[in-house]
Amino acid sequence: MPATDYQASFLGRISIRRNQVIAMDGNHEQELQDLELFSKHVSERFAELLSSPDDVPFDALLSISWLRKLLDFFLCCEAEFKGILMMGNDPSQISKPPLDRLIPEFLDRSVKALDVCNAVTNGLESVRHYQKLAEIVVSALEQKPIGDGQSRRAKKTLTSLISAMNVDDKECSAAKATERSWSFSRRGVSSKDRVPEHFRSVSNHVAKNWSAAKQIQAMTNNLVPPRGAEGSGLASPVYTMSVIMVFVMWALVAAIPCQERNGLSAIHFPAPKQLNWAQSIIGLHEKIGEEWKKKEKKGTAGLLDEMQKMEKLGNILMDFTDSFQFHGDITDQKAEEAAAHAAELAEPCRRMEEGLLPLQMQIREVFHRIVKTRTELLNALDQVGKSSPPLL
Amino acid sequence: MDECQSAIPAHDGDLHVVAAAHHIVKALGTTKNLSDDLRKILIDLDAHLSLITSNIDSKGGKGFVEVEERLKRVERKIVIWESDRIMIWDSGPKEVSDYLEAVDEVQTLIDSLRGLSMNENQKQKELLHRASSLLQMAMSRLEEELIHMLVKHKQQSEPTYMPSPSSQRNVVYSESVVSLDNESAKEASSKSSRSDECGEYIVDLVPEHVIPDIKSIAKVMFASDYGQEFCEAFIGVRKEALEQHFDILENGKLSIEDVLKMEWCSLSTEMNKWTWSMKIIFRVYLMSEKRLCDQVLGEFGSVNSFCFLEIAKTTILCLLNFGEAIAMGPQEPEKLLRLLDMYETLADLVLDIDALFSEDGGSFVRLEFHKLLEGLADSVKAAFNTFRVAVSSNGSLYPFPGGGVHPLSKYVMNYISMFPDYSSTLNLLLEDQHSDVASLVSEPQCGPTASLSTSCPMACHLRSITSSLESNLHKKSKLYKDEALQHIFLMNNLHYMVQKVKGSELRPFFGDEWIRKHNAKFQQHEMNYERVTWSSVVLLLKDDNPGSSSLSKSAFKEKCKGFSIAFEEVYKNQTSWCIPDPQLREDLRISTSLKVVHAYRTFLGRNPAHVDDKCIKHTVEDVEKLLLDLFEGSPRSLRNSRRMMKT
Repeated sequence: MPATDYQASFLGRISIRRNQVIAMDGNHEQELQDLELFSKHVSERFAELLSSPDDVPFDALLSISWLRKLLDFFLCCEAEFKGILMMGNDPSQISKPPLDRLIPEFLDRSVKALDVCNAVTNGLESVRHYQKLAEIVVSALEQKPIGDGQSRRAKKTLTSLISAMNVDDKECSAAKATERSWSFSRRGVSSKDRVPEHFRSVSNHVAKNWSAAKQIQAMTNNLVPPRGAEGSGLASPVYTMSVIMVFVMWALVAAIPCQERNGLSAIHFPAPKQLNWAQSIIGLHEKIGEEWKKKEKKGTAGLLDEMQKMEKLGNILMDFTDSFQFHGDITDQKAEEAAAHAAELAEPCRRMEEGLLPLQMQIREVFHRIVKTRTELLNALDQVGKSSPPLL
Repeated sequence: MDECQSAIPAHDGDLHVVAAAHHIVKALGTTKNLSDDLRKILIDLDAHLSLITSNIDSKGGKGFVEVEERLKRVERKIVIWESDRIMIWDSGPKEVSDYLEAVDEVQTLIDSLRGLSMNENQKQKELLHRASSLLQMAMSRLEEELIHMLVKHKQQSEPTYMPSPSSQRNVVYSESVVSLDNESAKEASSKSSRSDECGEYIVDLVPEHVIPDIKSIAKVMFASDYGQEFCEAFIGVRKEALEQHFDILENGKLSIEDVLKMEWCSLSTEMNKWTWSMKIIFRVYLMSEKRLCDQVLGEFGSVNSFCFLEIAKTTILCLLNFGEAIAMGPQEPEKLLRLLDMYETLADLVLDIDALFSEDGGSFVRLEFHKLLEGLADSVKAAFNTFRVAVSSNGSLYPFPGGGVHPLSKYVMNYISMFPDYSSTLNLLLEDQHSDVASLVSEPQCGPTASLSTSCPMACHLRSITSSLESNLHKKSKLYKDEALQHIFLMNNLHYMVQKVKGSELRPFFGDEWIRKHNAKFQQHEMNYERVTWSSVVLLLKDDNPGSSSLSKSAFKEKCKGFSIAFEEVYKNQTSWCIPDPQLREDLRISTSLKVVHAYRTFLGRNPAHVDDKCIKHTVEDVEKLLLDLFEGSPRSLRNSRRMMKT
């Protein structure tokens, strides 16, 4: 995996830099170099993410592999950030202004990010369900010849799939709240139109009024670029890391089904364009935000590339099965087209099969990393002898 | 047609071979002890051969007549249910077996039609489509039957055979050490029995008699390549059922942010609920769910573990997240016992979790819970340390009134008296911090009294905590201006500690040596008290001139007055002091009495000539009686009692 290589080289850089520290005089100069390097890496990493070609399906924006790369970069940035904040520097700095204010705010943001991680982990369970439904569609339509039975089978599952994916977040929790029971009265429904019961609601893992969008909005509270003299000190990496954290969580929520995402596109990143490292993040934010706005009105499960493909192909195949039922039969050409679309649908299924679990585990890794850094920062604050208790 | 027939023998001789083969197959089919697989093969073969025969017979176009007939027959059997409002499985075993047979037949026909070489035979194609449609109709129906069955037989009852959370160790320490000063700490009447649950509590999540029905559906659906549909439907219902069970356990759906902001009282309740839910969910529901998955899906390869994981995952994530939130929270001392409960519960379950999720897909779950266990272990250690720090650093600005047992002593001793319940866990977790503490503990246990229980890590930690407590009490005693009260305070508190150790399961961890030493300590304070308070008073009665037989009247009067004033002063002061333990109070009074009353009596006895009411304010009997008022914690003055005595 490219990211592992990246990490390795990153560690290598750290050791080189340690040697330099010994060779060099002046802590401040070193600090400045570290900061410069940090923002350089941030801008390189996000530029790479921004330049992901849309046409290459594997690395497309918001595809599973793209998200995994994003999380890898997050972990790299985080490691570097922690290094700057906690190694080599005078530890008492974190208890002095402006860090005495910025660090607790950062920790507060971290806790919110943890809840987002959990919500997304939960959302991936829905994605897994979509995958399983899509696989049924594929296996129904890859049979030859495609007849009425296959078409009906596909249609039934497609109905479940499309309605599951189109359920917007609010309905999701409402469906759960009204305790969607498996209807006993289904025998009353005319048998031809019986709605298949593949639909599975997203389980709430937190209170019903929890909102992913509000959570991320709250993460941007107090998030302002450091000004004046602060800009050259440790306030700047804290700010940078905060922006990265907010962006990563925002992107995850946009991509993966999540509880309550109303207003997600309205979240504004206070990242000024003149900051070099921020440009790619702003670019990504704009790009994904546009996508989100397009989908928001219709209600969508999320912008995950594989899911979008699934949705698109699902709709095409749905039309196919509709026309099949209408005409009773189809031309060979139509059948071939359908088979081709089914084969195309198998692709995102395959990528989900390979990528969802690793993605889920990676989100857990991010979770644990955030917890670890938080604990270390709290301990450091404690050691410095700050008498007032931490915010959280 | 030609292509079709190219695969089919056309000569009479061949026809005979086919007929013979058909005959053999039919004969074999009547054999009783056939495996299901073999029977299926024979049925398929039978269908195939009859198809060939019919093709040969008809020599062309109308060759599928028999197939069509068969298809029509099963079509009727399947379609008839489509308009029926009653579920097949609710109708009776005959209906069920007829339906299943019909589905089997459709599948057989499809297999046979597919088995023929690909061709342009319109009839064959049409029949295949019809059969597939029929199969889809039947599968859709079976799925519906399955969901209906699962929902109808979802067992809603709560398992009653596991101890309920209320019977667990339930003492909620709502106070914290830090906010303790001069507040009365409730004596924790703890020692609720420790629920000792072991063994498994597998229940029938679906009544046993329904399992064969579910399995029969699974079988035909898997045989017809509709296994995925079966799994999704099965997962859907079972997942929801598990979530309902989880909801019944009343776990608050809390975000990490919620947990970190929670008041200790509610948090303690939530922690208890978690401990309880973990046991129920894993020991009862997941164990049972796993069994159900194995029963229903065991014969279809690895789908059972896949389905189980899908059913369990969201509920598990909920439990996991609360655990994580607790493990990352600030570890205040009052959390220690709850954390120990959580740790022990998970430590106890972790092997079960490994077994439940032994497959590759479950490695995620296994890994996360192992991580959580580590996190909880760290939390226990951290809470233990903050407890220790809190014990030694708990400060007071004002002396504790009356010199009685300080709330800190009560809190600490009651709190640690629960530790023996957790001794094996604490020994394990405190092991690595053992050496530092062992050297700190002042009393080395040596000789014949040293035993395993007094030298284990927990014992050392316990003694280090009580020694922190002792030094803190010494600090607190210095707040009293009156030296005698300092001794009373230390005596009271040390005595309390000894009593707590002697009267609880703490005893083996402290050992007789510790008890002896601490007995001696409080007795020393008792003696010091007597010396400081009474020596000077008794001294007043001392014979200045041992040579002469008696004192002059004025000297006697002077001494009497001095004694009275000193005695009244002590009385006024020390009636407000407090010795809560009746035995200790009694002992101290007796020994005081012995000393003071004896000296007074001797003094009066030596000067019989001067003894009269005028100069003796208090008789020996008065003094004896008044001494009983000391240490009752209610201030009195002798002016009142004097008046009372006169009237």
